[in-house]
Amino acid sequence: MATKFAYHPGNVAHSSAPEVGDTMGPLARALGIELVPLAGATSCGAGIVRQANRRLQLTLNARTFAMAEAQGLDILTPCAATAGNLHEDLQTLNSDQILMQEVNETLERTCGLTMTGEVKVHHLLHAIVDEIGLDKLEDKVRNPIDFVVAGYYGPNIQQEGACGGDDVYDPDYLEQVISALGGTPVRWEARTQSVGVPGLFSEEPTVLKQAAEALSEAKSEGAELIVSACNLSHAVLDVYQGKAGRNTGLATNIPVIHLCEMLAFALGTHNSRLALLRTRIAVIGD
Amino acid sequence: MAIVSVWIEEGCITCDACEEILPEVFHVTDDTCFIKSEVRIDGGYDRNEAQAGLKPETIASFEDDILDAADGCPVDVIIVVEGGEAAAAEPEEASAPAAEAESAAPTAAAEPVEVAGDNIDELLSAGDRDLAILFGSQSGNSEGLAAKFAKQAADYGLNGAVHDMDGFDFASLSSMKRVLIICSTWGEGEMPDNAEELWQTATKAAAGSLSGVHFSVCALGDTSYEFFCESGKDWDEQFEKLGATRLVDRVDCDVDYDGPAAAWALDALAAVAAVDGAGVYHEEMVEAVKAHAAGDAGGADGEDGFSVPDITAAAVQAEISIFRYDPEAASTGSDTWVCAMPGHMSLLEALRIIKSTHDGSLSFRDGAADDPTTAICVNGRLVLPGTIRLDALAPTRDGVLSLRVDPLPGFEVIRDLVVDHWSMERRRESTNPWMVAATREGAATMQGAMGTMDPNVATALHSITDFSSAALLQASSDAVPHANGYLGPSVIASAWARRNDPRSSQDSVASIDAVLGSSNGIKAETDLASIRRQNGSGVVISEALLDAKTHVLEQDGFNGRHGKHVWWYAWTLKSSGKVNDTVLYRQVLGPIGLLGNLTSGVTARMVAGFTRTGGDMFYDMLAMVAPPAGFGKMPRQFNSSVENHHEVVAIFNELDGRF
Repeated sequence: MATKFAYHPGNVAHSSAPEVGDTMGPLARALGIELVPLAGATSCGAGIVRQANRRLQLTLNARTFAMAEAQGLDILTPCAATAGNLHEDLQTLNSDQILMQEVNETLERTCGLTMTGEVKVHHLLHAIVDEIGLDKLEDKVRNPIDFVVAGYYGPNIQQEGACGGDDVYDPDYLEQVISALGGTPVRWEARTQSVGVPGLFSEEPTVLKQAAEALSEAKSEGAELIVSACNLSHAVLDVYQGKAGRNTGLATNIPVIHLCEMLAFALGTHNSRLALLRTRIAVIGD
Repeated sequence: MAIVSVWIEEGCITCDACEEILPEVFHVTDDTCFIKSEVRIDGGYDRNEAQAGLKPETIASFEDDILDAADGCPVDVIIVVEGGEAAAAEPEEASAPAAEAESAAPTAAAEPVEVAGDNIDELLSAGDRDLAILFGSQSGNSEGLAAKFAKQAADYGLNGAVHDMDGFDFASLSSMKRVLIICSTWGEGEMPDNAEELWQTATKAAAGSLSGVHFSVCALGDTSYEFFCESGKDWDEQFEKLGATRLVDRVDCDVDYDGPAAAWALDALAAVAAVDGAGVYHEEMVEAVKAHAAGDAGGADGEDGFSVPDITAAAVQAEISIFRYDPEAASTGSDTWVCAMPGHMSLLEALRIIKSTHDGSLSFRDGAADDPTTAICVNGRLVLPGTIRLDALAPTRDGVLSLRVDPLPGFEVIRDLVVDHWSMERRRESTNPWMVAATREGAATMQGAMGTMDPNVATALHSITDFSSAALLQASSDAVPHANGYLGPSVIASAWARRNDPRSSQDSVASIDAVLGSSNGIKAETDLASIRRQNGSGVVISEALLDAKTHVLEQDGFNGRHGKHVWWYAWTLKSSGKVNDTVLYRQVLGPIGLLGNLTSGVTARMVAGFTRTGGDMFYDMLAMVAPPAGFGKMPRQFNSSVENHHEVVAIFNELDGRF
C-alpha cells in the first residue's frame, strides 16, 4: 500500500537542480510512496523572506499548509531547508492561536483557504526511516552504493521536533540509510553545521570558509562522496567548492550529490549516472 | 481432580521409598528429594517448591504411581497438587499446604508461578528471584566483579549471591534458574586454582543436568597469551553441553576489563532478571527490565509535592573522547576513555573523575554546576557540563554512550577544553555596553523617585538576555569561527536588548544602531538556524536576532548586498511564487560580482553541472534562446508561476505593499 504525501520540491528543484525532480519520481515509485504535487505551493522563504516581513512568510507557508490539509495529506520534501522552515512556521502558528486566527483571516480574504495546523511536515530522510522502514529500503537496493559516504544534514532539520525520531545533536538516520544502501558512512562534526547558504550573496567570504571547512573535514575523514539532505546547501557545497578551496587553501574537491540522487541510484534507476559518479570518484575527483 | 504438579516439603529423610516406586519422577539426593527435570514443564531440577507443572505425558503415564509414592512417604513430604488445589496424599493433613497453594491456584493449573509477560513489577518480584554469581579467580579481579554485580542485581529485582567456585556443590546448580559465571584464565589456558575442582566435576556431569539453568559467562584474560580467556570459553561450552540456556553471549575481556565487563553486566543482569519464578525466560521483557533498572519506571515522581523523585540511573558504558591540546608541545589530538559510569552523573563530575584517577593533566574549566564559563561542546551540542547528566547527553547506541568532548568552537584554545573568552569580551567592549540612561520621569516612592517599565517590555528584554552562558551562546553561531570581526550572537543580543530598553537615551540608541548595522553587526550572521537549534533559549534569542536583522535592513532601505538579497528574494517570490536565482545573482552581485563568479570558476561549474549530475547538457529550451540559462546547473531566467498565483500576489498586497 502506497504511503501518500503532498510533495513540496523545495526552492531549487525547479531551476538549478533538475536532478532532484529527475530522481524523486523513480525513487518514490520504487519505495511505494505516492507523491501528490502541491502545484500551488510557494517557496518556503528559505528564512530570507522573514527577514523582511515575518508575517508575510508565515502567511505564504500557511497557504501551503492549507492546501495540503485540503488534500488530507502531510507534506514531504527532499530539502532540509524547506522542511526546517516549514516546520518552524507551522510550530509558530500552532503555538499561538491568536496568530493562527489572524493568519487564517488573511488567508480567507485572499485565497478562500484556512488551515487547522493538523498537517505535518516530513523530510524525505525521516519519511524513509520512520514511515517506510530501513528493512524495506534494504530489500529494494539493486546497485549498492559501495563508497565511503559523508552524510550532510545541515542545521535546519536538526531542530527539536523537526527530525523525526532522530537525535537533534547527534543524528544517525542518514548514516543508517547510507549503510542500508550498501555504503560506509563516516561520522563527522560538520554534518549538522550550517554552510551559510542564507548569507551566500552578502557574506560570501564567511560562507566560503564555512563550506570549505565542511568539505575538507569530510575528505579528511576518508569520505569519497558527500550526500546532502539539504538541496540548498548542496548548491554551495557543489557549485562553490572550487572557489571555497582556492579562497581557503583547504582541500575541497569531492563529489556532492543529493540524498534523492543516492537513493534513486541505489534503487536501480539512472544507472548511467551512477556509472558517471563511480568514474568521478575513482578517476576524476570532484 | 487430575494431578497437575508434585513437590517436596522440608523434612525429607532420604529413605529412597519414592524413588523405588517411581524413579522416572523422583530422585533422592544426599539430603532431600528432587523432582526430575525431564518430567517438569519448566525443566527445573529441585524440590519444585514453585510447584511447576508436570508434563501431560508424565501425568498420563504415572498419575497413580505419584499418588502411591505420596501415600508411601513415611514423613508425608510429597505434596500432590490436584486440579489447581494443593492436596496432600493424606487429606486430614492437607490444611497447611492447601492454604499455601491457594493463592497460586489460578496459574498452577497450567504453569504454576509463571508471570504474565507484560507485568514488569510482578516479573521482578514474584517467586524465586535468586541469582548465583560464581567466580573463578586467581588474583581477585573476578571476585571483585562478582561482588560488584551482585550488588547491582538488586536493581533488577534479583537476590544476588556470590559463590566461590572452590567448595561449591555442583549438584546444587541444577536447581538454580539463573547463574552468572565470571572466570579468569591462568597460565596457558588453565583454570584458576579455586575453579579446578568444580571444573573437574562439571566435565563429568550428565548431559541435561543443567537443563533448567539460564546463564551467561564473563571471561577475563590477557590477549598477550595464546589461550586468551580459555577458562571462560570452557565454562561457556560446558554449560551449553549440560543443557543450560545461554541468555547473553560470553564476553572476553582483556586486561582493561572494567568497561567490557560492565557492559556485559548491563545485558546479563537484565536477561536473567527476565527469567520468572517458574524459570520461563521472557525475552520481550528485557528492555523493560533495563528501563526499570535505569530508574525510568522506579521511584516516586515527586508530582505529589512530598515525595522525592528518584533520579538515579544504572551505569552506562561510556566511551568518552576528549580533545587534547598541549601548547608547549604544540600537539593536538584526542584521548579516549572507556568506562562505566552512573547515568545520572553529570559530565562535569565525569571529567573530574577522569582527571583525578587517570590523567591529572586534563584541563577544563571547573566551577559550580551552572558556572557559565564551564561551557563545552559534546557531540556538537553546546552544554554547561555541570547541568546535564551523562545519559541525557546523547543516545546510547549498541549499548555504548559515545561522547566526543571538544572545546567551545569559535574561541582560541588555551589548553585541552579551556578556551580564551577574551575575544568575546573585546567585542562586547567595542559595543560600548554601558547603559546611558535618558532623563525620565519616575514614580514617587518612599525611597525616592523610581523608574517604571511596562511589564511586557521588561519581560521581553529579560528573555532576550536570559541565556545561561554568554560564551555558549556565542559559540552557537556557525559563522563566528569564520567571520573575522563578527560581534557574535551573544554581544548582539545584549546590544539589541539595550537598544530596546526605554531607559536608553536617544544618543545611545543611535550608537547601538550603528553597531548593529555595521559590517560586523547582525548582517554578518549567515544562518540563524544554527543558533535556534542550540539549547532552550536558542529559539527566543534567534527570533530576537531576526528582529534586529529586520530593523537593520529597514534602516538601510534594503540597500547593500544583504538588503538586496532579501528584497529581490521576496520580489521574485511575489512574481511567480518561486525564487528566481538568476534575478538574485544579477541584482545582488551586480556586474562586478558576476564577473567575479565567471573568473573564479563558479559560473563554469554551473554550466558544467551536467558533467556531475549525468543529466542532459541542455535541460531547458532557454539554452537555445537565452544561454547560458538552461545549461547544466545554470538557474532558469524565467519561472513558470505556481497554481493560483494571484493568491500569492493578494497576500503580498495585503501584508506588504513594498514589494
